[in-house]
Amino acid sequence: MVNVAIYPPNSLILADLIERKGHNALALQKEVRKKVTDPEIDSPPMNLTEEDPIKGLKYAAIEVPSGVRGRMSIIGPIIDEADAAILVDDAPFGFGCVGCARTNELATFLLRTKGMPVLEINYPTSRDETFDMVNKINEFLDSLEEKEDN
Amino acid sequence: MLKNFCKNPKLGSEDTDPETATRMIILGPKANVSETEIVHHMHLLELPITIKHTCYGAMVSGKEKDVLEAIKEVRKLDPNNIFTKDRGFPPGDPRRCRGHRLGPREGYHQMESEFKLLGDVSDALSNPTKVSIEKNKPICYDDFKDVLKECSKDKK
Repeated sequence: MVNVAIYPPNSLILADLIERKGHNALALQKEVRKKVTDPEIDSPPMNLTEEDPIKGLKYAAIEVPSGVRGRMSIIGPIIDEADAAILVDDAPFGFGCVGCARTNELATFLLRTKGMPVLEINYPTSRDETFDMVNKINEFLDSLEEKEDN
Repeated sequence: MLKNFCKNPKLGSEDTDPETATRMIILGPKANVSETEIVHHMHLLELPITIKHTCYGAMVSGKEKDVLEAIKEVRKLDPNNIFTKDRGFPPGDPRRCRGHRLGPREGYHQMESEFKLLGDVSDALSNPTKVSIEKNKPICYDDFKDVLKECSKDKK
């Protein structure tokens, strides 16, 4: 089982396709769950603590807006944990949204430069492209399995 | 907006347990099973999980092992048309549940958008074809020089 990061990090389709192949999809929701069910965070729904932008410093410099650093405190550990990644470029908001274009740029840059297998595809705009996207993702996931066996 | 603000959500002990997982089961547009059928099927499994019947399918909450077991069984009903995803908030959380909010919860719009692709995704899963993945290679120096020349010609 390989830990596969996805981007957009909360996409239903990407996470589902990964789990179908028996891999672990590193979805944002699992990290969010830790935030929203933690009894120590005492002012929900404002569940960003002052610790979070400090954690984000590992991934972004101090000059970077605190919104990016706060988001990276959640997305960053996902990137650290990932053994492979699937990135969908030009995805509309509805396919999964982080709410910050700069965070998207930083997170995809970190995923691309980590030196792990990365599949980068464009968001499908037609039925044929959707077929192609699904087949490419399945092919990529199968190749991860082969690498793991070797 | 302020009416949607929930300062102190009263979560049960199960909801604050770090081992608890919540999954959403979403039926694709070409599904051969109904929401009620999958909910009944999960009840028959007699697993210690909470099942919520929803308009898009169902929501399951419980120990991660039990939830994954329920999903594995329910997928067998229609493997290519049943999709699942993790959910961060527990079921019925007043910060997200539309029963307590004014209007639909935020994630519903994303699901609505992804639902449009699910029909084609399930067709692709039913008819898999072999494809080759081409790796992007950096452009070679001579080609890059040609591109620059062409661009400068266009400008002139």
